[in-house]
Parts: sequence; structure tokens; C-alpha cells
Amino acid sequence: MSSMTLSPRRVWRWASHSSLLGRLLFPVVCLLIWLVSIKAVTTIWPFAVDVLPTPWQVVEFMWDEITCHTLAPHNMYVTFGISLQRLAIGMAIAMVIGIVIGLAMGLSKAVDAFFNDWVVAILAMPNLAWALFCSLAFGFGDTGPIITVVLTGVPFVIMNVREGVRNTPTDLFDMARAFGVPRRRVIRQVLIPSLLPFLFAAARYAFALGWKGLVVAEVFGGQDGAGWTIKFWYDAHRAYGVIGYALLFVIFALVFEKFMFDQLSKRLFKWRPSLDAVEVVEEQFDAPTKASVGAAAGASTATGAALGSITMVTSGRPQSVDDELKPPED
Amino acid sequence: MTTTLDKPPATAQRTSEEDIVRAAKRKDRATRWGWRLAGYVFFLGIWELASGRVMDERLLPGPSTVFETFARLWSTGDVPGAFGTTLARIAVGFTIAFFVGIGIGVLMQNRFLNGFFRDAVTIGVTTPGLIWALITAIIFGNRYAGPILAIVLTTFALISVNVSEGIKSLPKDLIDMAKSFDVGVIRRNRHIVLPHLAPFIFTGVRFGFSIAWKVTVLTEVFAASKGIGFEMRTATQLFRLDEFLTWILAFYVLALFLDKVVLETIERRFFAWRGELKS
Repeated sequence: MSSMTLSPRRVWRWASHSSLLGRLLFPVVCLLIWLVSIKAVTTIWPFAVDVLPTPWQVVEFMWDEITCHTLAPHNMYVTFGISLQRLAIGMAIAMVIGIVIGLAMGLSKAVDAFFNDWVVAILAMPNLAWALFCSLAFGFGDTGPIITVVLTGVPFVIMNVREGVRNTPTDLFDMARAFGVPRRRVIRQVLIPSLLPFLFAAARYAFALGWKGLVVAEVFGGQDGAGWTIKFWYDAHRAYGVIGYALLFVIFALVFEKFMFDQLSKRLFKWRPSLDAVEVVEEQFDAPTKASVGAAAGASTATGAALGSITMVTSGRPQSVDDELKPPED
Repeated sequence: MTTTLDKPPATAQRTSEEDIVRAAKRKDRATRWGWRLAGYVFFLGIWELASGRVMDERLLPGPSTVFETFARLWSTGDVPGAFGTTLARIAVGFTIAFFVGIGIGVLMQNRFLNGFFRDAVTIGVTTPGLIWALITAIIFGNRYAGPILAIVLTTFALISVNVSEGIKSLPKDLIDMAKSFDVGVIRRNRHIVLPHLAPFIFTGVRFGFSIAWKVTVLTEVFAASKGIGFEMRTATQLFRLDEFLTWILAFYVLALFLDKVVLETIERRFFAWRGELKS
């Protein structure tokens, strides 16, 4: 007990320098704020009991969902399965269209000028607009949400692919030409490998943003799926249902990001001799951001800014999680 | 494969190299603008043609209909009020998010607080705006605080990420030098730290704004009795797609204007002193 290692000052030093402790403390503090605000609200307005759900209600709801005892028409697994299916179809279409247009835009200045403004315009459009429009134009069902996913995902794929084409090592092409390497081999062995990280990043962005778009689209124009179900609880005025489902969303996105994409990128880019793949993608995508940050949006074009914004949004996530996870707390 | 070499320019003309480059640039710009215009004509044409032919005109109003509807809506006098309400919400929410974001970004330099806020930032960046919109709608109802809280929750993380990146890359040697030459704390912050952080903060603000206005509109769709989102919801519920498209497009144009013109001009003025980076 009274050994030197546990003197209060040392404990305090350790505590104030440990990121793990802070990390563990965060949910506790959130819970405390939650409980205090319930207490405050119910003392001010005694009838507002059902507006702010208690944590226990939410946990109970989530447990019921996980064990398939739900009041909603489909249980959680089916619901997320339906949404994932739509997301997959939409993303596949978006990737195909995006790769074709992106390649053309990267290779030809004319095509680039032709499409550029419209890609930026579609990128800046809120997914709410697509969702509402598709739900009215295509009715309830699969079509509206899928088209929303395509429309939200396509600009990201296009921009990443174009950037990838522009960033291909031109000296390798020159060398290939000098040695008379046939075109097909150049495409297969130079262009595609150098495009892969960009394609991968494109898929990642398209997934993250397509998911957000899909959820909104399902709220307005779905008959089932994750977005529809959260709206179901909202319409039933079950606040604990909405919050519980929201937490399921967060868990779902994190699991996908961390497990699927990180694993995939590790596997896909194993052949790379340099750093591991995530870093490569991040670094390549950080370059334009850093440049644009450094030049204070010297990238005066709308595209640069838009591309930067994508980078910023995602670069914060894997980096900050990754590099802080590694060092064991001292 | 035979390679054809370009003929060297005829020396008799004696045009200086600069002229050639300039002419090539001019030509390049002209073709780019030509293609750009072609793109506008093509897409607007498709949109106009598709409405009424491919899809019912009530389902897909063409661009000309949108303009007419905007003129009609403008004459009713609802437009400035709705825009003003939404813009005021964005302004209040985004100001709060700005300070919260900077505060958290600064606090995250400490290891303990970094661990504390890391998950908050991750959640803030990854969670769809829809979720915040629904939660705040169900808790606050039509009250003013709902959309504002939603804006803060969706955008603070972006600013935090940028600020903390900026702090991490502070020029240590410059600060060390300033210290060893006895430059005071205030002057050090004013002349080294702030100029270094400003671009990062600006990036955060621009990205934050581009998300903030979307979230505001989304929240208003669920819980508001005025504003753009409310008008959009009314229009969709009455199945008036022309009005719906007009509202969203008008606000979209305004938001793009604010982002691309206003913020960029401020930025340019702000960073006028770093001339060499403008190239």
C-alpha cells in the first residue's frame, strides 16, 4: 500500500498522462451527463419522463434487438442485411460509372472540363435532396435508395480515380514506351497497381458517404432497412428506440471501418515493399490536403477544396485511432 | 510502332518562345472553356428533355420550370424569411461548434484528454447527420435548440481534427528560437502559433460549413416550423416537386456562394501576406 510506486503524486502523474484512462473515462462521463440531464429535465418538467430515456432503457432495447426480440417488423440482422444489400448494389454501380468517367477525366483535358463542374455540383448536393427526390420520383422500394447511393458515391469515385490517374508515375510510362512494352501490359502492370490505393480510398469514401445517403433515403422512401427502422421508432415516439438504434449504427460503421476495410487494405497492399497500405493511402491523400492547407486553399479550384474535404473527413479517423492505439501507455 | 517526331518550329518566323507558349496556353484555355460550356449545355439539355418525356413533368420538373417556380415563390415573399431563419440557425450553431471544436482540439494535446476526447471525435466524424437530426428532434421537438445542437454535434469534430493536426505540426524550432531570444509569450503566440494555425482552422471552417448547412436543412425537415427544411417537407408532402426542387436548389446555390465566394475571399484576404504560396 505505502510503497513508493503508489504515492499519490505518481498516481496523479500516471493518470494525467495515460490516454487509456481518458478513453475509459469518456463513456463514464457521458453516462453521468446523461443521468444528470435526465434528473434536471424531470425536476423542471415533471411530465417529460418519456422524452429523455434512461440508459437502462436504451441498453435493454439494444439487448432485445441483439437477441431478436424486437417489435419492429424485421429483426436487426435482417434489417441491416437489407440495407447492406442495397448499399452493395449501389456501390457497385457507382464504382463502375465512377471508374469509367474518372479514367476519361484523368486522361483527357476535354473530358475533364466537360464533367468537372457537374461532378462538383453533385458532390456538394445534400443527400437529403436526392433522398426526397428519389422517394417521390421512384416510390417506395429498392430503386430510390439505390439511386441515392449511386448519386452520393459517384463523385467521390470519379475524383479519386482521376487523382489516381494524374498521380501515376509518368517516368514509368516513359520507360515502358522507350522499351516498347505493349499497351495492355502497361495498363495491367503500371496503371492498375498505381491506381489501386486510390480505388481503395474511393471505395472507402463511397462506402461511408453512401451509407449516410442510404439511411436518409430509406427514411423517406423505404419499406424496410436500417433507415426505415430508425424512423419506425421515431414515429412510435420511442426515444430509447431511436437512441438505441443510433448506437447500433455507430457500432456497425465502426466494425465495418475497422475490420473490413483495414483488413482488406492490409491484404490487398501486401505486395507493397514500403509502409503498410493504410499509411500509403493516407499519405497519398494527405498530400493534396497538406498542400491545400499549407497554401491556405491555394488549390483555388472547387475540386481541390472538395477533394480536400473528403481527405480531412476521413484522415482524422484512421490516423488518430491507429497511431494512438499502438504505443502502450507508459 | 513508328514514332512521329514533331517538326521543330520554323526558324524563319522568329517568334519568341514565350509567344508560342502563350499562344498554346490561350488555345488550351479556349478549348477547356468550350468543353465546359458543352458540358453545361449537355446536362441542362438532358434534364430539360427528360422532364415530360422520360419522366412525368410532375415528377421531374425541368430547369426552366424551376426558374419559373422560383420567381413565383419570390413574389409570395416567403423566400427571404425562410432563408433568414435557416441562415441564423447555421450561424449560431456553427459559432458554438467553432469554439467547442477549437477548445477540444487544443485540449487534445494532453495525453489523458486526448484519450478522453478521441472517441468523441471519432463518433462525431462518423455518425450520420440523420441520427443527430432524429435524436434532437425527438428530444427537443420544435424548439430552437434542436437544430443548433445537431449542427454542433456534427461539425465540432472536423474543426477539432484540423486544429489538433495544426498544433502537432507547429514549427518547434521557431518557437525554441523565439524562446531563446526572449520573445514574450504573447508575441510568440501572435507571430508564430496563430499564423501557423490559421490555415488549419480555415480548412476546418470550410469543411464544417459544407456539412453544417446540410445538417441544418435535414433537421428542419423533421422538426421545425419555418426554414428551408420545413418548406421542403411541406412541398414534398403536397407532392409539389417543382417547389421542392426550387427550394433546395436555391439554398444550394446560396450555400455554394457562401462557401466558394465569401469564405474564399475572406481566406484570400486573410492570407494575402503569404504571397509565395499562391502560385
